[in-house]
Amino acid sequence: MKKAIEVKNLTKEYKDFKLDNISFTLPVGTIMGFIGENGAGKTTTIKSILDIIKYDGEIKLMDKDNKNEALKDIGVVLDDAFFPEILNAKDINTIMKSTYQNWDSKLYFKYLNDFKIPSKKQIKQLSKGMHKKLEIAVALAHHPKLLILDEPTTGLDPVARSEILEIFQNFMVDPECSIFISSHITSDLEHIADYIVFINEGKILLNEKCHVLLEEYGIVKCKKEELENIAKEDYIRVRKYRYDYELLIKNKKEFKKKYNSEVIDKISLEELMVLMLKGE
Amino acid sequence: MLGFIKKDLLIVKGNLKTFLLIFVFYAFLAYTGDVDITFILPFLSVMVMMSSFSYDAYNKWDSYALSIPKGRENIVKAKYLVTLILITITSLLVLFLFIFLSYIKKEPLDLDMVFSTFIGNIIGTVLVECVMYPIIFKWGIEKARIAIFALVIIFVVTLGFLISKVDTINLNLVFNYLFKYWYIFTILILLMSLALSIHIYRKKEF
Amino acid sequence: MDIIISNNSNVPIYEQIKEQFKSKIIAGELSTGELLPSIRVLAKDLRCSVITTKNAYEELEKEGFVKTIPAKGVYVSKINKEIAKEEQLKKIEKMLEDVVILAKINKINKKELNTILSIIYEER
Repeated sequence: MKKAIEVKNLTKEYKDFKLDNISFTLPVGTIMGFIGENGAGKTTTIKSILDIIKYDGEIKLMDKDNKNEALKDIGVVLDDAFFPEILNAKDINTIMKSTYQNWDSKLYFKYLNDFKIPSKKQIKQLSKGMHKKLEIAVALAHHPKLLILDEPTTGLDPVARSEILEIFQNFMVDPECSIFISSHITSDLEHIADYIVFINEGKILLNEKCHVLLEEYGIVKCKKEELENIAKEDYIRVRKYRYDYELLIKNKKEFKKKYNSEVIDKISLEELMVLMLKGE
Repeated sequence: MLGFIKKDLLIVKGNLKTFLLIFVFYAFLAYTGDVDITFILPFLSVMVMMSSFSYDAYNKWDSYALSIPKGRENIVKAKYLVTLILITITSLLVLFLFIFLSYIKKEPLDLDMVFSTFIGNIIGTVLVECVMYPIIFKWGIEKARIAIFALVIIFVVTLGFLISKVDTINLNLVFNYLFKYWYIFTILILLMSLALSIHIYRKKEF
Repeated sequence: MDIIISNNSNVPIYEQIKEQFKSKIIAGELSTGELLPSIRVLAKDLRCSVITTKNAYEELEKEGFVKTIPAKGVYVSKINKEIAKEEQLKKIEKMLEDVVILAKINKINKKELNTILSIIYEER
């Protein structure tokens, strides 16, 4: 299996926050969704992957030992870092043409055209959605094999979000391409991600195939007496409400067989995230 | 690295009107009064570079640039090269202004004076910027700004003080010596500052 | 060709895809030897993940409806339509059996059941 990203024992300590021994692997040809609350460590992880900050541990990109070599084939969208806003989209083309060997001006202007981004308007005059789309156009225009995206859809309206997700799916038609995408809007990732890594307070809580989470995990609602009859190892989290309990279970089928339970709800990533964090 | 140089020059282009306005304003002062117009040179090129650093910081350009292959060294090198380019451009502008003013005022051009102020200013500018950059790379433009203004003022005041107080002959000796080897002196400082900045920037986190 | 998947259904998405391909193959809408879209193109068009479409094709292959030729693509296999149809009939019979048991428990007679069946059949 070829690996687009391999993170081993990544640790980074700040005064008030610690990224604690993070490990995961993104296989080539797949999309990994990186979810977690704000401040969970998503951006710190991405900054480590890109060598923007120093860290302990081992990170390998595109199976290459030389990160500079790997960066040639990587496109990024960072949460809030981009070109100085006094520049315009055309300036960016001028700059990037002399920066990336593979920079494809034609493709870049095609994206600008598709996204309806005016090429001579200063970045600061663009709307938030256009700004993000411009970042994505820049990330794609040197024919990267790996996209590393930090919150590429945050702050966008649903239409812009769906447009952007479509771009990512088009990108993924090439089997050599991979995407690492962080987001706290989990519904964006639900359909397109192959893997989900869930991080909280600097630690990985879950690393699982996305469809397993959606198809095998489930929510059971029950009364107190019923809860007492359910073995502790059969659920991951329990959350107490005023009138009932909500259980997060790992395997709907087995649970159904064992407890003959009828009401097991399908779970969304959002519910999963909330139950993981709010449940006990 | 060429891309990073172009980026800074495009920022200058974006602010061209403001900078030209300042230049014209000083040219006017030089025409009407006794203001030393060569002061524009260090002032303008320092200002231009500071504004480029500010734009970078405001949009966290450094983080972004580090995702570009070889970002780290090239960001620093590009800043120094852009500085040299700007000093060259502003020097030529001042030279042009000298010639232009002497033509309008119908005064003969004192070539020796032009040449010495010229080189003095190049050395001065390089000196100021070479001290500035490691500070900016270390602490960021916002914190460095105060330090830099202080430095510029100290530099100008000291120069003024030296010129007015110290025995002219002595000073001329020093200056003559400086002028004779000015290129070595300037290049040496530049390289030292560059090495220091790269060293600082390698360890920097964003 | 229409493929409609529901994200809210309790049936896993890969299974929805699989079943719809199956019925198209049985109905002859997809003919023997026809090249199916690659897992990646299908994932893009159905707005789901690559793993999902990959699972769907793998299941289809296990059941003998398609064949993957490495580096070329996924093709519709030659299937015995009679056998395939019989298989589907068996499935229906089994489901109806559950229905009848439930009906008998609730004392719903054959006539009533027939009426319900024909109404549902007409509506769909």
